Amino acid sequence: MCKRYFLFLLISLGLCTQAGMRARAQDDNGRILVNVNLVQLNVAVTDSKGRYIPSLNPQDFIVAEDKIPQRIATFEEGNGPTRSLIDVPPGASLTEAASTGSESGQSHRANSEGQSPFGQLTGANVFILFDTSNYMYRGFAFAQDSIADFVRSLEDANKIAFYSYSRDLSRAATLTADRDQVLRGVRSTVAGDDAALYNCLLLTVKDTAHYTGRKVIVVFSNGPDNASLVPPEDVAELAQSTGTIIYMISTQIAHDEPVSTAVFERMSKATGGKAYFAKSWKDEARAFASIRDDLAHLYTLTYYPAANPNRGWRRITVKLAGKDLQKYHIRTRDGYRLLQTAQLASGLSSGPATEADSARPQ
Amino acid sequence: MNRPLRALNASLVVFVFLCFNADDCFGGTTPTAAPQQTVIIPGPLRSFERMAAISQKVPVEKVLPLFARNVFTQGYENGRPTEFLILVDRYLQQARELQSLADSHGVIHIADCDHSATLLQILGYRLRSGCGQKEVFLMTSDSERAFLTIDSGFPLTELEGDLRKNTPFTYPFPVSRVPVLLHESDWSQLGSDHARRNPNLIDVLVRDRLVARLYWAFAKLDDETRLSLARSPGLSRLLPYGGVLDFYGTQICIRNGHVLVPGGTAAESTWKSLVGASPESSGDFVLHLLEKDNGWLAAYYDAVARVNPTQQAHLTESARLKPLYEAFRSPDPEEHAANAAFRKAPSLLVLFTRVQWDPNGDPHVPGNLAAWRNLPKQKVDSKIIRDWNKRARRWGNQEQLLEAMVAASRVPTDNGPLQIYLTISELDRVRPSERHLSAPTVGLLAAKYPQYGRWYLIFSEFPQLSEESIARFLTVADSINGIPHLALRGNTLGTFQANVGLWQILARQKQIPKAELNASWQKTIEPFAKIASSTQLLDASHQSLGALMVAAGGKRSWSQYDLIELLAGPVQESPNGQRVHAELARRMGAVLEDQQLVSLDTLFALSDGIQQMERGAGGGDKLVPLAEDLHGFEMPQQIFTKNEKVEWAPTIYSSRHAELQIKTDLTKTLKTSASRAQLEAGRSELAPFVRDTLVGLNYAYYEPPGAQVLHNNPLFVRSHDFSGFSIVGAERPWETPELFGIGTPAGGGAYLIGSLTDLPYALAAAEQDFIAPENVQALIWKEVVPDLLVSAMLPRWWNISSNELHAVALYQRSGEEILAASVANEQLRSKALSILSERMTPQRLEQTDSSFRAGSRPVLLPADNFYLASGFREKFPDEDVASFGPASHELESLQHRHSTETSFVRLSQDFGTPHPILAQTYSLELLSVKPFPASGGEDSRLFGESWDSTNLYWARLADEMGYSPVMLNRMVPELTRRMIAKIFATDLEDWSAVQRAMQETGDEFREGKIASLQITTEGSGH
Repeated sequence: MCKRYFLFLLISLGLCTQAGMRARAQDDNGRILVNVNLVQLNVAVTDSKGRYIPSLNPQDFIVAEDKIPQRIATFEEGNGPTRSLIDVPPGASLTEAASTGSESGQSHRANSEGQSPFGQLTGANVFILFDTSNYMYRGFAFAQDSIADFVRSLEDANKIAFYSYSRDLSRAATLTADRDQVLRGVRSTVAGDDAALYNCLLLTVKDTAHYTGRKVIVVFSNGPDNASLVPPEDVAELAQSTGTIIYMISTQIAHDEPVSTAVFERMSKATGGKAYFAKSWKDEARAFASIRDDLAHLYTLTYYPAANPNRGWRRITVKLAGKDLQKYHIRTRDGYRLLQTAQLASGLSSGPATEADSARPQ
Repeated sequence: MNRPLRALNASLVVFVFLCFNADDCFGGTTPTAAPQQTVIIPGPLRSFERMAAISQKVPVEKVLPLFARNVFTQGYENGRPTEFLILVDRYLQQARELQSLADSHGVIHIADCDHSATLLQILGYRLRSGCGQKEVFLMTSDSERAFLTIDSGFPLTELEGDLRKNTPFTYPFPVSRVPVLLHESDWSQLGSDHARRNPNLIDVLVRDRLVARLYWAFAKLDDETRLSLARSPGLSRLLPYGGVLDFYGTQICIRNGHVLVPGGTAAESTWKSLVGASPESSGDFVLHLLEKDNGWLAAYYDAVARVNPTQQAHLTESARLKPLYEAFRSPDPEEHAANAAFRKAPSLLVLFTRVQWDPNGDPHVPGNLAAWRNLPKQKVDSKIIRDWNKRARRWGNQEQLLEAMVAASRVPTDNGPLQIYLTISELDRVRPSERHLSAPTVGLLAAKYPQYGRWYLIFSEFPQLSEESIARFLTVADSINGIPHLALRGNTLGTFQANVGLWQILARQKQIPKAELNASWQKTIEPFAKIASSTQLLDASHQSLGALMVAAGGKRSWSQYDLIELLAGPVQESPNGQRVHAELARRMGAVLEDQQLVSLDTLFALSDGIQQMERGAGGGDKLVPLAEDLHGFEMPQQIFTKNEKVEWAPTIYSSRHAELQIKTDLTKTLKTSASRAQLEAGRSELAPFVRDTLVGLNYAYYEPPGAQVLHNNPLFVRSHDFSGFSIVGAERPWETPELFGIGTPAGGGAYLIGSLTDLPYALAAAEQDFIAPENVQALIWKEVVPDLLVSAMLPRWWNISSNELHAVALYQRSGEEILAASVANEQLRSKALSILSERMTPQRLEQTDSSFRAGSRPVLLPADNFYLASGFREKFPDEDVASFGPASHELESLQHRHSTETSFVRLSQDFGTPHPILAQTYSLELLSVKPFPASGGEDSRLFGESWDSTNLYWARLADEMGYSPVMLNRMVPELTRRMIAKIFATDLEDWSAVQRAMQETGDEFREGKIASLQITTEGSGH
C-alpha cells in the first residue's frame, strides 16, 4: 500500500491535542552460547553548566560492573587516537554484538607490537531515524532542513545512515560516508500513516549492531506512538546491550505528552544519550548542534569484564577518581544484558542492505 | 426437488457453459475501440503518483483509474475535501507553475545561482546565504510549498548542489500524458457545474467524487462491456450508480449488445424476470440491474457470476434463482448495498462458492434438516435471525434451509447460522460418505459453535477423527470452561490448547500415523477432563505430552530436545535435509531462549522430584539447582513506575502472569523440611511455567520470517491472555486471538488475547510490520501480508519427492506452452480461455485474449499456468498435449511413470495454501477460484486466501535451479519475506503488485543476489 493518510492525521490530532566482543561456543545440544568479552563505554563528562571536560586520563575513570572493579583496556577522547592500555587477551576480537555483520568484514586484533585493535574507531556511525508519520506532517519541511543541516555538519570521520518511519521502517540511505546520498535520502521521504517509533527504533538498533565502533542513533520524532508492538523497555535494553547511544529530538507535541516525555528522557539517559524538546526549528538546530558537540567530546573506554556469574542484567557504574573531579557529571549507559544470538540474528535476515543495494527506485 | 437438470452430469454442464462463454465472449467479437485518448497531467508522472498515493510501478494506463479510486476513497470526509485532496490540488497548481518555467521541450533550465529566485519561490525555498557565498544551502521559506516540493520528489539535493557550485541546473519537467477511458470530454461533461467549467479530467476527478467513482468502476470493466455501457445507457444515467457498479459490476460481460448472464442462455429468462429487462437489451438490463432494490440484485448477480460453472448451473436453475434472491433481498430492501466502505454480504459469495449438492441436485445438508430446524436460538440482534428463529421449524425441504442461509448472509456477524452451516458443511465435505456427520453430532457442533467454532478447523483438517473424538473434545472444553478459579482456568486453557496444537503439528507432518490419529487425539485431550488444581494440571500436561510423544514415534522417556526435534520435522537422511531440519530446530530453540522459558525437562524433573519428596524420599538439595532455573527470567529494566503504568496504560495489565512467576521461589521449600502440603503447594507453582513453555513451542513453530517480537519482547508468550484477565470484557477463551496493547508504550508491549486457534495468522499479523518495505512510499499491505506469511510458514516440505517438485515446474511451463501454441491456433485458444475463465474476471480474460490476438503469449500468474496445464489435460484428454513443447512432453512422460506423485490432488495437498476462512481448514489445497473481492472484517482475509501463486512459483525456481525439495523449508519463508518487502500496491485488490514483487524476488534469486539461499554442492536434488 502507498502511504498518505492525512485524514487520519486530522482525526488523531484532534483527539490528543557495546557493546561487546563476543565469542561463541557450542554446548551439548549444539546451541550457540554467547560470551561478552569486551565492553565499550561512551562517556560524557560535563560540569554543572553542561560544559564538556576535556583532557581526562584513563586513570581518572573508575569502572565497575555489578560492583566488580574493571580494568580499562583502551581509551579514546573524542575523535582522537585510541590508546591501548593492556594486552588484548588471546582470542579476543573486536566484533560487535553480531559477529557476522561487521562493517569491514574483518576483525581487529592487537598485534605483538602493542598496536591498538581500535585503529579504525575514530568517528561514529550515526543512524538518523526520522518520523514521517501523520504526527509529523505540519513541520515536515522544517524538520528536513534541520536534518539536512545536521548531516552536512557532521565531521567527515562519521558515517551516516538515514532511515524514516511511520508504521513501517524505510531504510532510505544505508550507512555511508557519501553525504549527498544521505541528503537524497532525507529529501526523498514521504509523510503519512501511523507511528510505530519503538518498532522501528528496535530495527535500527539491530542494524547498528552490525557495525563496530561508536554507534549512535538520532531520533527525530514528534513523539506519540500509536502502532508499536514492542515496548520502549525492550528497545532501551537492546540499545544498552549493543552499546548504542540514543539521542532523541522531539517537537512540542512530545513534550505535551507525558508518556513520550518520560520515554524520551529515560531511554536516552539509559543509553548514555540525551533528549531534546524543540519548540521551534531553531531549537531543533540547537539540538542537532548539541549532539554533534557531544559526539566530539565523548570518552570511549573499553574493558574486558572480570569474572561475573550474573547471566542477566549487569549494572555498570562509572565514576571519576580524585576529589577534584567529583564535581563533574558523568553520562553513560548504565548496564547491559548478555544477548542471545537469535536476538541479533533475527535482525540479520531483515537487516540493512549494502551501500550498493541502496540505489533503489524512489 | 427432483428436476431433470439437477441430475445432469456436472461435467456436461460445465462444458456446455464454457463453450458458450468462450465462443461468444472471445470468438472474434473484439470491439472496434476508438484510438487511445490521453489526458495531460502537469509535471513528471512520478511526482504526480507520489502525491496521489499511487505506486510508481503501475503501468501508465492504470494511473487515472487509481487516481479516481483514491479521490473517492481518501478524498472526502463528510462531504468536505480531506488533506489528501487539498495537497493533490495544490500540487497540480505548483506543477503548472513549474511547467511555465520549462522550455518547449519540457525542461527547466536555471543558468546559475543568480537566476534561481523564481524557481525557488515556486518551490517554497530560499538560499541561506547569497549566491557565491561559501554555504549555499536551501531553507524552507514557505512550508506549504516546500512540503509539496519534497513530497512530490523534486530533486532538491541536485538543485542545491548546482547552486552551490554555481553551475546550470537542468531538470526535465515534461507534461505527462496518460491514457483515458473513452474520451476526456465524456467525463468532463458529467461533472458538476464547477467541474464542467474546467475541461481537464484531472480537475474534474478532483472536484467530483461521483465522476471519480464511476470512472474507477468503468476501469474495471472489459473494453467491450465498457464501450457498450457508454453507448447505452450512457455515462450520465449510470452516474448515480457508480458505487453499485464499482462494488458489484466487474463480472458484467456484454458481447454484441447481449449481456452474458451467469448460468448462460438457460438462465436468461429468469434473470430477465428478476431484472425487469432482457439481457438482449444490454443497456436497459444493466441499468435495471444496478438500480433494482438499492443495488441488492447487482450484489446477488455478482456473487453468482463469480463462482465456477458447476456452482452456477445449480444456483441458476429457474426454480432456485428467484427464491434465493428473494431470500437475499427481503431482510432489509431499504438498506443500500453500496453505501459502505466495503461491499456488503461477503459471506454470500463464500456460500455460493462452497455450497455442496447432493447427487439429486439438492443442496447438501449436514446431518439432517431436523438438526438445523432445532438450531439453538441465536442471540444476534438482527431481524433476519429473529425471522430465522420463527420460520426454522416450518422448513420442509433443503431448499428452504439454503434460502435461510442466503438471507443470513446479510447479517454482519462471524458467529451466525451461516457461519455454522459453512463450517459444518466443510467438516462433512472431507469425510467419506459412510462417515458423514450424524444428525446428533451436527446438532452438538451447531449448539457449541458460538463457543468453540474456531476450533472445528482441526476436525476439517483431520477427518479421520471420529464423532466420538469430536464429542470428547467438546466435553473436555466444557469442563475447562467450568473451572471457577480464573488463574487455573487460564493456565488450563493455555496448556490444553498448546498440547492440542502440538498434536495438530505432528499429525499434519504425518509423524502420527493415520491409524493412530483417533487414539492419540483422545489420549492427548483426555487428561484435561477433570482439572481441579494446579498439580492436577501439571500431571495432566505431562501425561498428555507423554501420550503425544509415543504416538509420534518418540520414546516414553523423552526430553524437550526430543520434542523440538519432532516438531522440526521427520528424521532426515540427506545432508541437506539434516541441515535444514537442524536449522528449524535451532530456530525454535532460539524463540524459547529469547522468551526465557524454562525447559520442560527442568519443570517435570522438579515435579517428579518433589513428588518423591512427598513420598518421603530426600533429594531436595539436588533439586535446588533446578529450582534456581525458574529465576532465569528477568523482567526488562523498567522505564515506567507502577503508578505511571496505571495512569498511562490503565486498561492493560498483561504482566501479572510474569510477575507471579518472578515471585516463585521453590528453593526455600526444597531446602527446608517442608510438609507434604507445602511440597504440593510448591509443585503447583510449576503449572504456569509448563503452560508458558508449551505455548512457547506453538509460537516457535509458527514463527514468521523476520519475526522480532518473538525475539525481543520476553513477555510476549507469558502475556498471552487465555482467560481475559488483562482487560475487562475481553474474554475469548476459544476464539481467534487478537492483538492488544498496540501503540501503548507504557503497556509493556502487545500481546494476544484469545485461544491458540488460528495462531499462525495472529503471529503473522503481529510480526508483519517488522518487514521494511523497499520502496520509499510503500507500506506493508495488512489485508494480504499475513496470509502470504502463513502460506509460507505453515506448509513443510519434508515428504516431497524430486519428481513431485519437477512436476510442479513442468505444469507451469506446460501451461506457458499451451498459451504459446494458442497464439496461432484459435480452436486451442478457445479451449485455453474456457479453462482460464474459471479463474479470471471478464476484464483479465479479455486482456489475455487481446494478447493472443496481438500475436504474443499472454503472461499469466504461475497458478494460472498451473491450472491451465492441469485443466487442459483433464477436460481435453484427447488433445496431444505433449506436442505443445518440451515441458509438456516431459510432463506427459513423468505422469506416465509417476502418476501419483504428479497428480493434481497430490500437488494440491503439498503446494496449495491454507484457507481457514474460505474453506474452514488449515489443510493445504489449490482452490481454483477467481480472486475474491476486498471485504471488511474477517472476510478481508478471503482476498489473500484466493492467492495461490507464490509457493508454486518458488517450487518452480527451486526445481529449475537444482535445489532439493527439503530446501523449500528454508527458501519459501525467506523468499516470501523478501517478496513482501517489494510489494508496492495502491488499491486493495492489486494482485499485479504481488505478482511484480514475486517476479522481482525470483529474478534476484536467479541472479544469485540472495546470499543466504545460495546453493551448496550438496543442494541438487536431481
